[in-house]
Amino acid sequence: MTESKVVDLLAVFPDLEPAANAIEYLREIGVHDDCMNVISGIPVTEAMLGRPAQWTNVPRIAMGGALLGFGAGFFLAYITPYVYPYPIQVSTQAFIPGPPTVVVLFELTMLGMLLSTFLGVFLDSFFPNYRPMKYVTEVSNGKIAVLVECPHGEEKKLTEALKKMGAESVQPAEAQHL
Amino acid sequence: MSDKKQHAAQSHEEHLREKHLMLDPLPRGKMNDMVMESMLEKPTWKFWVIFGFLAFVVVYFLFYKWGVLIAKGQGEAGVMRPDYWGIFLVNTVFWIGISHAGTFISAILRVFRAEFRRPFTRAAELMTTFGLVQAGFSIFMHMGRVWLAYWLMPYPNQRLLWPNLHSPLTWDLLAITTYLLSSTMYLFLPLIPDVAMARDRSTGWRKNLYKVLSLGFRGTEGEWTHLRNAMNIFAWAIIPVMFSVHTIVSWDFAAATRPGWSSTIFGPYFIVGALHSGMGAAAVVLAVIRSTMKNMKYFVRGEHFDAIGKLMLIISMSWAYFFFNDYMVQWYGGDKWTQQLLHFHEAGPMGWMWFAMLICNVAIPWAILWNPKWRATPWAITIVGLVINVGMWFERYIIIPISVTINRMPFTWRLYEPGIEVPMGIGTVALFILLYMAASKLIPLIPVWEVQEGQMAHELKKFGRETVVSVSELE
Repeated sequence: MTESKVVDLLAVFPDLEPAANAIEYLREIGVHDDCMNVISGIPVTEAMLGRPAQWTNVPRIAMGGALLGFGAGFFLAYITPYVYPYPIQVSTQAFIPGPPTVVVLFELTMLGMLLSTFLGVFLDSFFPNYRPMKYVTEVSNGKIAVLVECPHGEEKKLTEALKKMGAESVQPAEAQHL
Repeated sequence: MSDKKQHAAQSHEEHLREKHLMLDPLPRGKMNDMVMESMLEKPTWKFWVIFGFLAFVVVYFLFYKWGVLIAKGQGEAGVMRPDYWGIFLVNTVFWIGISHAGTFISAILRVFRAEFRRPFTRAAELMTTFGLVQAGFSIFMHMGRVWLAYWLMPYPNQRLLWPNLHSPLTWDLLAITTYLLSSTMYLFLPLIPDVAMARDRSTGWRKNLYKVLSLGFRGTEGEWTHLRNAMNIFAWAIIPVMFSVHTIVSWDFAAATRPGWSSTIFGPYFIVGALHSGMGAAAVVLAVIRSTMKNMKYFVRGEHFDAIGKLMLIISMSWAYFFFNDYMVQWYGGDKWTQQLLHFHEAGPMGWMWFAMLICNVAIPWAILWNPKWRATPWAITIVGLVINVGMWFERYIIIPISVTINRMPFTWRLYEPGIEVPMGIGTVALFILLYMAASKLIPLIPVWEVQEGQMAHELKKFGRETVVSVSELE
């Protein structure tokens, strides 16, 4: 079995400011943004931490769901009346009446969009995920945790640097059951 | 600055902090502990007595009576010509109305960034989901052969006939299903970080429950980004869905050419009515949570009742406007049967209900809610909330069974006398409260992360000699 070339360090900061400073410092010493992750108990924006904007597929998945919903609505409102071998024409009434069709199209488009938005969060965040994960419970108490990938042999140097930047604790991150 | 002036400025700042939750932050850990304490606090004997009583009411009045209705048929209920809908539909419309407060508070106020919403969005969202459950029950009760409800599902029968998707009945099915699913998802998404917090602080079966519900949420940048995006999409998209639900419910009436029902204004009139009863119920729920749950006085303050009170006053005025508009046009139209109906509303055997509706929905709210002191008093606003809900139930009763009494065939005129549907309706009220009581012990009723996010954005700022509350745009 080959030994991993990197070690994950988990630094816990008391507040936003020292965490943002530490991230800036890490970048200065050559740690790439992709090798860092921030864990927080409240939504801290990327701009506050000086981090690059996070990519999310949720809006695209939502649009896709809206289109699927519209398609389902179209099928139910426009196609199903023709599926019966003997289409039922009632007097002079429109066979596919317009205004009620709008109702069906609207409801199913919205349903498709909202269901897929919900599913989008699951897909993008890999939910549900009950495997062991790198985490510290202090995060939900308002602390900010920075997870850094550190090359083997440089743990001590990086630990000291992070502590100097205000980290309350810096430990090798171990995956644990939440 | 003299000592006296400095002291006055300090006490003004203290007053502002005491008044506004957003200016009175506590350490996050402490706030978490407070919310957990309120949830984990051992229920008192009073809680169990009320819980047991409500459980009995639900089992006997809702489920047993429903069984009787199914076994013996709709004859057990008071519905017959010309009143085929009765209290079943009154309750359906009433509960859908209650459900509107959740979306209004959580989505509309989120879109407009109304900061006072933060501590009670979840309490309101729960009202939406639990209210819609009661609305669904009320429809199924009325269905008679409820086991055939699946006939409404959009799939072809043995003769390859599909349900008529252009009929108002299927609009109801689509709209209510869409609203129930979306409001449940909208309740769940912002709950994830709070159940993750609860997971970190629990043991035993609760730990397992929260572990499953939190889905493995840690609070990474990616998870927050996906969640924030999804919540923004929900906040915008659920508003037209909410509007569509009650508009479609109103079309169940307005699309018929009956006296009193055929009105182009019924859609917005119903929506305002729904918000009226929903906000009233939200005020009551908030006051009950504040007075019965530990630590809630920190999270729910006079400022929140004051804000809800202002909304209630505006909605009450809007309701009065729509009511008068609808009344005026029907009265002026001069149709013989409509004139008969309007006279029957006011001077018939149920005239007392018509006047009580106006007193409860307009006179009492206006008399009390104009006063900022009364608005910020929890017991006063609870009474107004209850009175509004009584008034709005009366309004639905007048629109449905009383209005269909008078029609174009005088030989069918008959005043509706409810039967088994009365205890069943009481059963839905009991189930709503029961679900709420259970939820208060199982999930954090205060969205702590939203409160702390708001507290981060607020500060006191000095403009010259004046200290004012200032809020920053964080997103």
